[in-house]
Amino acid sequence: MSRPAHDRADQPGIRLNINGQSVDAHEGMTLVEAAWQAGVPGITNVGCMEGVCGSCRVMMRRDRQVTVGLACQTFVENGLDVIFLPAASASRHFYDIADFKDSWDIHARFHGIFPEASRCRHCHGCVQSCPKDIKVEDGVALAASGRYREAGEIFFECVMCELCDVACPELIAPAHVGLFCRRVTAHFHLRPPNLISRIEELRKKREEADGNDKGEE
Amino acid sequence: MNKGIPLQEALAAYRPDSDPGQVSPMTDADSLLSEFHPDHLRGSVVKLSVGVNSGDSCQRDLASLLQTEAFIDEADLAGVPVIDADVLVIGGGGAGCAAALMAAEQGAKVLLATKLRLGDSNTVMAEGGIQAAIEPDDSIQKHIQDTLRGGHHAGNPSLVASMAEDGPDVLRWLINLGMQFELTPSGDLQTRRAGGMSASRLVYCRDYTGLEMMRVLREAVFQHRSIEVWEQSPAVELLSNEFGLKCAGAVLMSLADGQKRIVRTRSVILATGGLGRLHLNGFPTSNHLGATGDGLVLAYRIGAKLTELDSFQYHPTGLVYPSHLSGKLVTEGVRAAGALLINGKGQRFVDELQPRDIVCASILRECQEGRGIRIDDERKGVWLDTPRLENSQPGLLERQFPNLMSRTRGSGLDPRTQPLLVHPTLHYQNGGVIINSKGATTVPGLFAIGEAAGGIHGRNRIMGNALLEIICFGRRAGIAAAAAAKRDRGPKKVTLEHINQLRRALTLAGMPLSRRAPEILPSYARGGLWSR
Repeated sequence: MSRPAHDRADQPGIRLNINGQSVDAHEGMTLVEAAWQAGVPGITNVGCMEGVCGSCRVMMRRDRQVTVGLACQTFVENGLDVIFLPAASASRHFYDIADFKDSWDIHARFHGIFPEASRCRHCHGCVQSCPKDIKVEDGVALAASGRYREAGEIFFECVMCELCDVACPELIAPAHVGLFCRRVTAHFHLRPPNLISRIEELRKKREEADGNDKGEE
Repeated sequence: MNKGIPLQEALAAYRPDSDPGQVSPMTDADSLLSEFHPDHLRGSVVKLSVGVNSGDSCQRDLASLLQTEAFIDEADLAGVPVIDADVLVIGGGGAGCAAALMAAEQGAKVLLATKLRLGDSNTVMAEGGIQAAIEPDDSIQKHIQDTLRGGHHAGNPSLVASMAEDGPDVLRWLINLGMQFELTPSGDLQTRRAGGMSASRLVYCRDYTGLEMMRVLREAVFQHRSIEVWEQSPAVELLSNEFGLKCAGAVLMSLADGQKRIVRTRSVILATGGLGRLHLNGFPTSNHLGATGDGLVLAYRIGAKLTELDSFQYHPTGLVYPSHLSGKLVTEGVRAAGALLINGKGQRFVDELQPRDIVCASILRECQEGRGIRIDDERKGVWLDTPRLENSQPGLLERQFPNLMSRTRGSGLDPRTQPLLVHPTLHYQNGGVIINSKGATTVPGLFAIGEAAGGIHGRNRIMGNALLEIICFGRRAGIAAAAAAKRDRGPKKVTLEHINQLRRALTLAGMPLSRRAPEILPSYARGGLWSR
């Protein structure tokens, strides 16, 4: 049985850098906890602290190797250099899903909205940057070939940290491609009979009630 | 209170095949609750002495926030830039996004300001699902009854009816926006039954329902041409007209540089969520970082009436360690699948599938009477016996609870071989700002929705009603706020008159003016924000 990581006092001390500040921490602490304990200013890009909101994006350097990740899911290491990244800049890909009336032209629409998606140069930057180990590149390829349902499934665990958007040299915005695929799949193909019947039943009831009201007037 | 069995001793004595004994049937639930539930802790409830709820019971830590000095006075507003909007939404979780989208659909110019990042909220962390009465053997009426009964009949029946009636249409709206749900092979929405439901009514998206909802809403809001989003921009005060009687805007303060901005508006929608991060009564919490009850403080100061301020939901099974996950939930599903709760002596002590408040009080009783497992004064708990569950159904944890497994992986803890130390964790604010079925508060121009609003869940919320509530009342308030903004010609003057009145009342009541609220961030995360 492994020993639980609970008692910090007798854990070995660890020294690392966060936003340029030298920080002392204990084994088992996350980067968020270490930054707070040391009073590193301005650590406000933090949300759920369980890895589902994608807010606490960090860039890390170990010797000459540079990686990205989520600070609430990464534990302190000796000599680690950490920079908390600002939130992603606004998306450059605009669409209103309410404008999508006809699913037959969706392929043309997709390439109109995301013209870069077919220009993937397979650099794997998106895959390496993903803290959720999503096969981002495969998802983008499926989307570009019009297989939106399958592509969306690949992005199921996406937490919208948008680190893949930053990593992409072609500005494909893979996270938003993934979400587009998931959204059009629901928008066009989710037509559950049990829900539709109940909605219709309630509509009829309202109609009857309105009719009765008018009769009494 | 140093009682309890030391962790290493309890671990050494633990056997997944020991005889855990039988639990005797619950005889006196009321006295268990009144003796051990945190809502009834001696000294934890006080009477409010200032404001519209004067004389009402309120949790002590919350009361001290509601009756405090503001950050700013009129002198601070000189030279501050003013921005006009038809509708200001404060809060970027599920409720705030739904309200912003509907108000924008009505043609309003909407500003959505949120303390952290758009989508940082308890919505994104919801695992279970959303309730809607859609199965043939279910009805709107049953949904209403279950919700009222679950809330110990303290909820407002007309609000509950509005919510239950909206359920099916809320699902249609979400699907049209692009949210996916689990389907049966024949294409129906998959439903399941959870605690307190008389029919199968919970629709879901694996155990990531809230994440799926939030990322779709977030994208829709960012994409909308009539919605402007300001992140890292908490509201520190509401603004009133010259009589202090109507809400006319808000003062926002940037987390990045402390700069203030005045938003002058015709309708304000508060969607600021709950208050788990206040750690009421010293409890850990399952909530996200921004849940500091700011909306309750702002609403109370401008004169909005609140309800059920002494009623909170403590989820029975929050993790005690690994410490970076302290207070985070182990879903009720693990107990539903058969996991037992075991004290430090290896004995069961409660039927694990009793309502949340009963299980919570029973765990606290074990800890207080020395049968809990103790790390130090702050950290105690009981075992959630996952190894026994895994032994009886090998592979079950990996298959059904991948979220739990992936969270504990990497911290040297394997729930398949080691039981989880759990303790009740502050989960949900049952009460909040009193609203009508359009989300309007008792103050003209001010709406409140989501966890910040009260009156729907009575004194106990049942699973799946939170996600429904935020969309139902978010949409209703968005429509109503946009309509009000059309009728209203806007404020002649924006003032802090209500704060002047508050200061007089605090002084008359002999309350100190030393503490300031809202909290904005919990103390441990506040370093270097701006000088206070």
